[in-house]
Parts: sequence; structure tokens; C-alpha cells
Amino acid sequence: MYSPVILEEILRFANPTESIWIDSKSKGNAKELALAFVMTPRFISKTQVKSSNIIMEGWSWEDYTLEKIVRIYFLCLISEMDGGDQLNLLFDTAEINEAVALHAALPALKNPTDFLLRATDAVRSNMGSVFESIAFENPYPSLYFSELAWNQMVLKCIFNDKAIHRIYGLEARANQALAGTLSDFAHERWAAGRRVPSQVWRLVPLFMNENLRGDIKKLEQSDNPRDILAAELVNKEIAQPGSTKEQWKELELPEPIYQA
Amino acid sequence: MCQNPHQKEINPSHFEGSSEEKATANVVDHDFMNYTQGMKFFDPHMHMSSRTTDDYQALADAGVVALIEPAFWLGQPRTGLASFKDYFSSLVGWERFRSSQFGIKHYCTIGLNSREANNEALAEQVMEILPLFLQKEGVVGVGEIGFDDQTAAEEKYYRAQLELAKEMNLPVQVHTPHRDKKKGTERSMAIALEHGIDPKMVIIDHNNEETVKSVLDQGFYAAFTIYPFTKMGNERMVEIVKEYGPTRIMVNSAADWGISDPLAIPKTAALMKIKGIDLEAIRLVTYQNALDAFAQSGQINESDFIHGIEIDQSQKFNGNTVLRGGQAPRINKNSMIIR
Repeated sequence: MYSPVILEEILRFANPTESIWIDSKSKGNAKELALAFVMTPRFISKTQVKSSNIIMEGWSWEDYTLEKIVRIYFLCLISEMDGGDQLNLLFDTAEINEAVALHAALPALKNPTDFLLRATDAVRSNMGSVFESIAFENPYPSLYFSELAWNQMVLKCIFNDKAIHRIYGLEARANQALAGTLSDFAHERWAAGRRVPSQVWRLVPLFMNENLRGDIKKLEQSDNPRDILAAELVNKEIAQPGSTKEQWKELELPEPIYQA
Repeated sequence: MCQNPHQKEINPSHFEGSSEEKATANVVDHDFMNYTQGMKFFDPHMHMSSRTTDDYQALADAGVVALIEPAFWLGQPRTGLASFKDYFSSLVGWERFRSSQFGIKHYCTIGLNSREANNEALAEQVMEILPLFLQKEGVVGVGEIGFDDQTAAEEKYYRAQLELAKEMNLPVQVHTPHRDKKKGTERSMAIALEHGIDPKMVIIDHNNEETVKSVLDQGFYAAFTIYPFTKMGNERMVEIVKEYGPTRIMVNSAADWGISDPLAIPKTAALMKIKGIDLEAIRLVTYQNALDAFAQSGQINESDFIHGIEIDQSQKFNGNTVLRGGQAPRINKNSMIIR
């Protein structure tokens, strides 16, 4: 039951009019709550709340708006009264901002695994903000995704030049299959004369093989200082596991595959 | 929506321009953007689901900063509720996102169109899901609804949706029929008034020289679709603005799956400028009046797009987008080399 702690957080930021509206809507049945979810932007401001409260490990609200948190609260209430049909209706009819709130709420819903297909569908989405709502600052994938689904999400993130460090559980869920596919992916990019963002090599130190050793050699000989640093960090991490976490932060920047 | 350019003789132009004017129009055709520098446009009727990314790029280049996509039929009838649901969802989801990639703010109106109102069993189900969609962010009206064949079923669902609009305090975008247009338009207005709807909340669309006077006289907004062959040409449009002035008049392109021109508004603005219509009047009919009419929904915030919408870098440059795999945001169409 996450709704009480979420409400507590909301009330720190809501003005009196907003609080009254939220209170009146929260007494509704699942269908009324679903409509309240849709209508939220008409009554709740989109102010950034800068909430640093940790309700769940990996669930960061740092760039959330009040409106988004109120929507998440209504979704929790619906799930806590077993309103699965209403949640499914909301997923099926979601506008972009609604879809973002729905996926952000997944880890806090009752029976979160009921929504596994919704979560993997969000990974398939080509709407940037919808993909990010499941992939970034969200513990749901690390808690519930199969290795296959996890690897798909990380690869898609890399493929689309999104910064993988925003994925929660990146180190904990690194695996041999992902490291291998990453090597293949790098070869494809290199064959096309394109780049691979340097920070992705943080996923390989535990899983080195012949191919990957060759890739790291190639990075060492790169003209790009970022690649050279990435190779250094991989070698250092192999020698002293756990020693490079802070240093990877230097490479946590967007690296467009097309340079101006 | 006539698809066949060879049939234009059955849709004769109401305005016979001089040969000098014809020559001017040809010049504008080639170089209209020379006349519209610094102007911005709001197109309140575009079926972007039918258009390509090339069209979005051209719209952005021509100064279209915001548009409205009315829900309509898809050229053939849908056979189930799920298709309607997915279509409405795409208007508030994927299409809105696609548009944002080009810096254009995308709004929509949601409604059961007149043609498909004739499948009553399905229409009943669609009516059930309309309220949910009408409450969503960026849904700026009920539309496009009204008459096509002017059947009893069409009237029934037109009336039902007028009631929905009234209840939710939303503007109504009314499609007027291609055939028997004059009577259909009068009937649409009479029914709206009968339901107690304020005419300033109603945009009567696809007007022509025969319908405009009555629409304006009764206090409704009059929209004109600049659409080759079957609706209005933009030379005729210029004459209408000269005759009636800019108040409560707006132009749009329809830009659907038929032969239509997504740049109809900027081209019409250029032609108006060449023909001596003052800049403020042009601004009203190509931007402000549409904005005022649909902003009555409470769902349009001009500051979201007046300076161009911010193209979210997390969505575009860095993003998982229609510009797949980090493809360079703009391609040189004339280059033989594709990288």
C-alpha cells in the first residue's frame, strides 16, 4: 500500500484548493478515480516538486511535477481497490502524459507483475518520453523483467543514444548475454563509421572474452579520449572490482553518433 | 472528397479570376515563402495521420506553429470499437509526439464522424468512450461532427454530441456536407441553436460563398477549407475576406488522405498579402481566430508554441524517435548520398 505515503508527500506541495480537490476525488470508486486521473491537469498544477523523498529504492521523483504525483496516487488507489479493468482502460486510451504517469506508477501498484506486458510494451514504444518513463529512474524493470526483456531495454537505450546510467540496477543486472550482444552491436556501428557511447563499456568487465578483449584493444587505440578512458576503466575494473564506479561518471554524457 | 483531378469540371469554381490574377497565383506557388517571412500560422483542421514527415518538415519551415487534428473517418468504415479507440488514442499519443518532433504543437478534437454515425450499433459503443477522450489534455473540442448524407442516424448522433459538448463546455467543430451543402449547413446551425449552444462555441467548417453570410450573421465561426477541386481555392478565399472582413473567419487545409495541400494556409496568406489585404486581417484569419475559437476549451496555452515549442532533446536528438537510431534530425532532400 503505497497510497498513504504518496499522499503525505503530495500534501507537502499542494495548495489548499488542490488538496480539497484531491481529497474529494480520492473517495470515488475505480471508475471515478480513473476519470479523476484523466482530469488531473485541469485541477493540479504542473509545478516541479523537487521531491527527494525515497519511497522506494530506485524510484526517483526529482524531476516530477505535482500533477504527475497526483496521477500516480490515483492509480495506486485504483489498484488497491482491485480496479484492474479501469487501469487497463487507462493504458489502452492513454494520452502521452498519461502514459508517462502510468508507467512511472507501475512499481507502486498492487500486483505489479500483472502489468509486465504493459511495461515491455513501453520499452517497444517509439515515443521518447514513454520509453524513458519505464527505463529511467524506475525500479520496475530491475525488479520484474526477465533477462531477455532487460537486455532488450538496455540495448534499445544504447541504440537510441540515450544515457544508460539513468537505468536503475544497471550494474546489478549486467550479464554475459548483454555483454556479448554489446560487442556485436559495437562492430555494426564501427562498420558503419559510427560511434558507440563510451560509457556502455561499463557493462562488460565481469564478462570478458576474446571478442571483448579485442574491442577494448580497439578503444585503447582510438583517437577519442573518451574511448581511451573507457578502456582504462574497463582494465582497472577487471584488476580491482568495484574501483571505477565514480570515474564512469565522467562519461555519463550524451554522445551523438553524428558529430557536427 | 473528390480524388480525381479530371472531374474538376463538375465542381466549377465560384470565382472566375482574371488572367493577371492567375499569373500571380503561379508566382506565389513557386515562391510563397518570400511573402510570409516572420508570419506564424495556426491550422485548425489537418488530418496529420495521413501525412508524412516531409509534410511536417515543410509545415515547420513555412511557419505553422500549431495545428488541430479533428477525428474523422479513415476513407473506409471501421468495423469495431477497438479501431475507434486506437484511432482516438493515436490522436492524443503517437501523432502528438510525431508533431512535437518538428516543433509543432498538436491538438485534436474528438468525435464520431457523420459517415460512421450511420452504423448505429457501433455508434452506440463509440458514444460510450467519447467522454473519457474529451476530458484529456489538449483535446480542444468535439469534432468533426455533423452531416454527410443528412440521415436520421447522423442527426441523432450529431445531437447527442452537441449535448456532450455543452456538458463539458467544449467548442464544436462542424463538418458540413459536400452534397446539398447549403441546406445541410443551415440545418446544422439550427440544431446547434435548438440545443442552446452559444454560436461562438461552434466552428462551421468547409464554408463557401453560398454559406458564409448566414454563418457569420448568426454569430458562428466560419472556417474555410482550402482544398483543390472540391472545396475552396485560395483566390476565392481572398475575395471572401475582402468582402466580409476577417472577423470570425479562419482558413484551414484539411490535409487529409485526398489530394490536399498542407501548406494551404501559408500559401493563402501570401496570396492575401500580394492582393493587398492588410497584415492584421491576415493574422486573424490564419492564426488568431482559430486560436480564440478553440482556446475556449481551456486546453490551449499560446505560450506553449508562440515562440516555437521546445523540441525536447531527451526526445529528439538523444532520443528514441521517428528519427530512428539517432538519424540526423534533418536530411538534405537533394543529396544523392544517404548516410
